[in-house]
Amino acid sequence: MAVNSKKERRGMWAAAVPMFLLALTCLYPIYFALNNALKDNRGYILDRFGMVSDPNFENFVTAWGRARFSEYFMNSVITTVGAVFVLLLVSSMAGFALAVLRFPHRKLVFVLILGALMIPVQVILVPFYQTIIATGLLNTRTGLIISYTAFFLPFSIYLMTAFYAGIPRDLTEAARIDGARFFQVWWYVMLPMGKPALLTLGILNTLYCWNDVLISLLVLQNERTLMVGITALRGEYTTNVPLLAAGIVLAAAPIVIIYLLFQRHIVAGIAAGAVKG
Amino acid sequence: MSNLTLKNLKKSYGAVEVIKGVDLAITPGEFVVFVGPSGCGKSTLLRMIAGLEVVTSGTIEIADRDVTQLEPYDRGIAMVFQSYALYPHMTVAENMGFALRLAGHAKPERRKAVEEAARILQIGHLLDRKPAQLSGGQRQRVAIGRSIVRQPDVFLFDEPLSNLDAELRVQTRIEIARLHQTLDTTMIYVTHDQTEAMTLADRIVVLRGGIIEQVGAPTDLYDDPDNAFVAGFIGSPAMNFLPCVAASANEVTVAGLTIALPQLQTQLRQGESMKMGIRPEHLNGTNGPSVAMKIDVVEQLGATAFVHGMLGGDLPLLVEARAMRPKAGDMINVPFDPQHVFLFDANGDRIR
Ligand SMILES: Nc1ncnc2c1ncn2[C@@H]1O[C@H](COP(=O)(O)OP(=O)(O)O)[C@@H](O)[C@H]1O
Ligand SMILES: [Mg+2]
Repeated sequence: MAVNSKKERRGMWAAAVPMFLLALTCLYPIYFALNNALKDNRGYILDRFGMVSDPNFENFVTAWGRARFSEYFMNSVITTVGAVFVLLLVSSMAGFALAVLRFPHRKLVFVLILGALMIPVQVILVPFYQTIIATGLLNTRTGLIISYTAFFLPFSIYLMTAFYAGIPRDLTEAARIDGARFFQVWWYVMLPMGKPALLTLGILNTLYCWNDVLISLLVLQNERTLMVGITALRGEYTTNVPLLAAGIVLAAAPIVIIYLLFQRHIVAGIAAGAVKG
Repeated sequence: MSNLTLKNLKKSYGAVEVIKGVDLAITPGEFVVFVGPSGCGKSTLLRMIAGLEVVTSGTIEIADRDVTQLEPYDRGIAMVFQSYALYPHMTVAENMGFALRLAGHAKPERRKAVEEAARILQIGHLLDRKPAQLSGGQRQRVAIGRSIVRQPDVFLFDEPLSNLDAELRVQTRIEIARLHQTLDTTMIYVTHDQTEAMTLADRIVVLRGGIIEQVGAPTDLYDDPDNAFVAGFIGSPAMNFLPCVAASANEVTVAGLTIALPQLQTQLRQGESMKMGIRPEHLNGTNGPSVAMKIDVVEQLGATAFVHGMLGGDLPLLVEARAMRPKAGDMINVPFDPQHVFLFDANGDRIR
């Protein structure tokens, strides 16, 4: 975007100031956690906000060893990877069906799915919990994978449908003429063509699943995922803040790394979801 | 024997009937062009033959097999889309070999078939590129190549040239004609451009509003149209139509000029109003009665010139003038050769 006139430039500056403040509110906690994770408890009590003077990585080792942290980590990895895989698979198929196939009431189906998008998790916590118990999925990773899939699927289907609706119909027709059967059209044409949208969805859903506390707290009660497990680093009366900070840094690290790697896709994906459809 | 037969084929979208009963038999190796104005149902008819649109009623037979209910692939057809519809994530070779891959052919076999087709179309050097790296004309060739590899019984083309620039369009048109000679396979080609139809077709099917107006060889349609629509659609520039009145059983009066039509088999009723058609290129001979016309506009093309004027003050007329350099404002003499005059009744049907 070229900034040509003086007026426009002033407009950019006016926008930049609140943006900068907003960014600061996000960045400061990260700095706070990282900075304090490198102090020991004594260093923290003496000076909470100052820069660490003698950084050490003791806290990370302790946090990892404490309270089955590595098990929690594995739980998070398995449930996140599992849920994201199922989400991508199902939303790509559903998007194909809704955008390309002609079947009765497909508009209604799409509207119902969009409707599900508007129901917050909190509203249906009780029936959700009862369902989990009734289906015997309580305290299973499978149960959590299915739950994540259920809660994040509407958005994923919405995005895939919008994306696939933009692909010319001729392509699926050409595939049918080339001899592709129903699933082959999906596998050879729609799935590879959906790659940009699937990548975006993969990243977004990874963020959602990894950072989830609420659903995980309900489904996995004996086991824990990382985000729930971190709370175990909190003492009953006093909290070792540097230790907790180290735990938080460990838990957030994978997501921050993914975010840095795929920044562009995340922004593109959010924009796509906002404009298309 | 017939390669493709359509019997009373109909198609409705909801309450709207788009194809209103089409009967057609196409012989093996024939190049048939469906032509007609935009929205007349050409693409729909082609897509019904391809198996991409469900048939409302009637039957389609290909190679003496009823294929009306079959999947596209099982019909032995290949189709070239207007948009080319190349798979963007596959290379040219993968695009062309996709049908064979789905049919379970081994890789070396696929490669051979693809290379053979690429050789015919001279796109061998493009095989490893993606469609995005090709020009429009090259994409067009790849799309044609993809259909050749299949070795279908029938090729279907839906306005394959409309996305090319004028020069490339002429060039590709010639190549498609050459391809038809080489492969000797039945081809059905949809276009709204009568020039494409005339130059390519063994037989032209003129469609309007979901029905066939006339079927015939290009020259037959040009020389002997069944109705005013076909007469006006075939030929470029289009035929002139002038209102006229029967002066006797075989004479008509147009713009004050009475023309005898001895070839007429029908007896005209004196005083009957009709439409007379005559092509611009037939208005520059020396035969027949003539009338003077004041020139409004001249489109000079060098060898010929299109001369626009008004006959008798209010009847627009286009004359193709050869071997003369008329100027606007001049008067020219327009002769009506009775041999080239067509008569149409109030419904537009030909009076022979
Ligand atoms: N999917 C559809 N639903 C409703 N009407 C359609 C559909 N496809 C085509 N039509 C209508 O059918 C008619 C014929 O269309 P088409 O075969 O594409 O015409 P052409 O190719 O000759 O320009 C048009 O009037 C068009 O509006
Ligand atoms: Mg069309």
